[in-house]
Amino acid sequence: MPKLINNGAIVENTFQWLQDAELTADANSIVPAQHWLANQDTIGPVAGIWLEAGDGTEILADTDLSQFSVIGINFPAFMDGRGFSYARLLRERFNYKGEVRALGNFIPDQLGYLLRVGFSSFQFNEDVNLEKALELHKPFSIAYQGDVAEPKPIFLRR
Amino acid sequence: MYQYDAIDQQLVEERVAQFRDQTRRYLNEELSEEQFLPLRLQNGLYVQRYAPMLRIAIPYGMLSSDQLRVLADISNRYDKGYGHFSTRQNLQLNWPKLEDVPDILAELAKVQMHAVQTSGNCIRNTTTDQYAGVISDEVVDPRPYCELIRQWSTFHPEFAFLPRKFKIAVNATESADRAATQVHDIGLHIKKNDAGEVGFKVIVGGGLGRTPMVGVTITEFLPREDILTYLDAIIRVYNQHGRRDNKYKARIKILVKALGIEEFRSRVEAEWAHLRGKESTVPMNEFNRLQGFFTEPSYLELADKPNSLASKLADSAGFARWYERNTFEHKKAGYRIVTLTLKKPGQAPGDATAEQMHKAADLADKFSFSELRVSHEQNLVLADVRQDQLVELWEAAKIAGFATPTLGLLTDMICCPGGDFCALANAKSIPIAAQIQDTFDNLDYLYDIGEIDLNISGCMNACGHHHVGNLGILGVDKKGQEFYQISIGGASGHDASIGKILGPSFAQEEISSVIQKLMNVYVETRHEDERFIDTYRRVGITPFKEAAYAKTN
Repeated sequence: MPKLINNGAIVENTFQWLQDAELTADANSIVPAQHWLANQDTIGPVAGIWLEAGDGTEILADTDLSQFSVIGINFPAFMDGRGFSYARLLRERFNYKGEVRALGNFIPDQLGYLLRVGFSSFQFNEDVNLEKALELHKPFSIAYQGDVAEPKPIFLRR
Repeated sequence: MYQYDAIDQQLVEERVAQFRDQTRRYLNEELSEEQFLPLRLQNGLYVQRYAPMLRIAIPYGMLSSDQLRVLADISNRYDKGYGHFSTRQNLQLNWPKLEDVPDILAELAKVQMHAVQTSGNCIRNTTTDQYAGVISDEVVDPRPYCELIRQWSTFHPEFAFLPRKFKIAVNATESADRAATQVHDIGLHIKKNDAGEVGFKVIVGGGLGRTPMVGVTITEFLPREDILTYLDAIIRVYNQHGRRDNKYKARIKILVKALGIEEFRSRVEAEWAHLRGKESTVPMNEFNRLQGFFTEPSYLELADKPNSLASKLADSAGFARWYERNTFEHKKAGYRIVTLTLKKPGQAPGDATAEQMHKAADLADKFSFSELRVSHEQNLVLADVRQDQLVELWEAAKIAGFATPTLGLLTDMICCPGGDFCALANAKSIPIAAQIQDTFDNLDYLYDIGEIDLNISGCMNACGHHHVGNLGILGVDKKGQEFYQISIGGASGHDASIGKILGPSFAQEEISSVIQKLMNVYVETRHEDERFIDTYRRVGITPFKEAAYAKTN
């Protein structure tokens, strides 16, 4: 079974990222958010949903997110930074407390920023060495801005 | 100027360690070229035509003499003994070795400097008026606000992978806009409301490049405590909705244009409604703390125009010329702001040798409280010079090549490094600047022409700001040949405008003669006291166009 980094440790990945909405979802699936929204009455229990870059978090405004164990955010390319705003909005605006998982083409060198905006787990592409990635699993020890972990900017902490 | 505390210092040191590790992994081939690219760019490192280029941040243009000496030493030891001051108040080294860059950054960190976010699709160095804090008609000193924005933007976790680069400039006076704020992604004008409270007029969506635009006002008055939450709101909207499918349409100006300012504003306001008043609201004690770094130096009580100055002005036409052009009125009696021009004929505009950097640092120590500023026009500024020491400074500046008395005149050009260095360039720009320097070498003539901005870019990316030059020169590639398009009527101040293209492009050797023809039209049609740009605005493009393309019989 593929592994991922979750809360700073390499663990078995018990959920399945369902990239193709045509496939049948089960209780371990992370399904496309748009697909879940369109079929929520019939789809049955799922582990969670995932946002594609471009979906925006506002599509989830009327959804009770606490029903999901995980919300994934896909990075179609690591330079596509929309997911950084999505994660932060899920945490700060939607007050989502579950697992926020980075999916797709993000890279280990982005971990510091990803952690600060509220991601808690990282499902890297298969060619990424997770032990090496784990060495980058920490932000700088100083942050000027507030973030998800510490909402106070530096000027409230100096 | 701002001084790091242990917190700031630790952060830059951690950054050096991070980049050292990234460079090591790149050289070990653990990091691919594609992955290393944005990482090195966010540390100011480009790979250029012949060598890497390292762009070192000079936050809002402020430099201590000790920092400048370190820059000089670095350029000697790791480069070819010179550097290039850019329009965004930074310093570029054109020949460092990639594997040396971590060591260079470590040396910079020792003097509270870095190369963080001087490139890449992130928030870049915040720039401002090079006369900040020393002119009399300023609302308040903009530098504490620039420092606040610098800290907020540094390693902002949400905005490190924006659709495109993002530049902020700050202005604090009605009388001029020396930071070209209206052609930035965000331009901030510090102002006071009727109650005397400090805030910002916020302008968004300006920019140059392929689609030059003057920014539009998104809010007339934003209370200063709300600045960071409002910037967060603007950039969050941009990060989510800016185009990512085409890098030439990815700047915020394209989004603002596509949505229209009303819709863009309503999205920003909706986002801001969630952020306003939250933790990032800036408390008064932080403004006070930051202002505490920009207190007045220990000025003496002196009178304006001391006898020694008055008599030299009467006796020496050369000195009088320099005084008139290269010095500027100071808020404090008996002092003057002096620009050390980096526009000496024979030297690329904005370039300074290591020896010149050392010399400028010495002059700053002797004459200006050991501080300097870098200007958008690619010159150095000594902000606090005693008027009774101007003659001595002028003599020293002449020897060092800093006293070319042409500030604001035709040959005080803005010029990018161009095809001599830059991998993006379509054409060389430095030889064009040199040709113009050589042709227009008569000071009386230059003074007669008066104030005119001539800006040169080697390609559409517009690092030389050609769109907003009264005259702009743009290098273009025509079937492998370097040609130059000339535009006219641009401006970068409060009256910002984008220049109009005169017509078909010219060969390199024609440029000076075309400029001469344009100057002839100006001289023949100008009204008294009319600057070039005023005449152009009155008579329009036609007479200039006709003169430029007239067939000689």
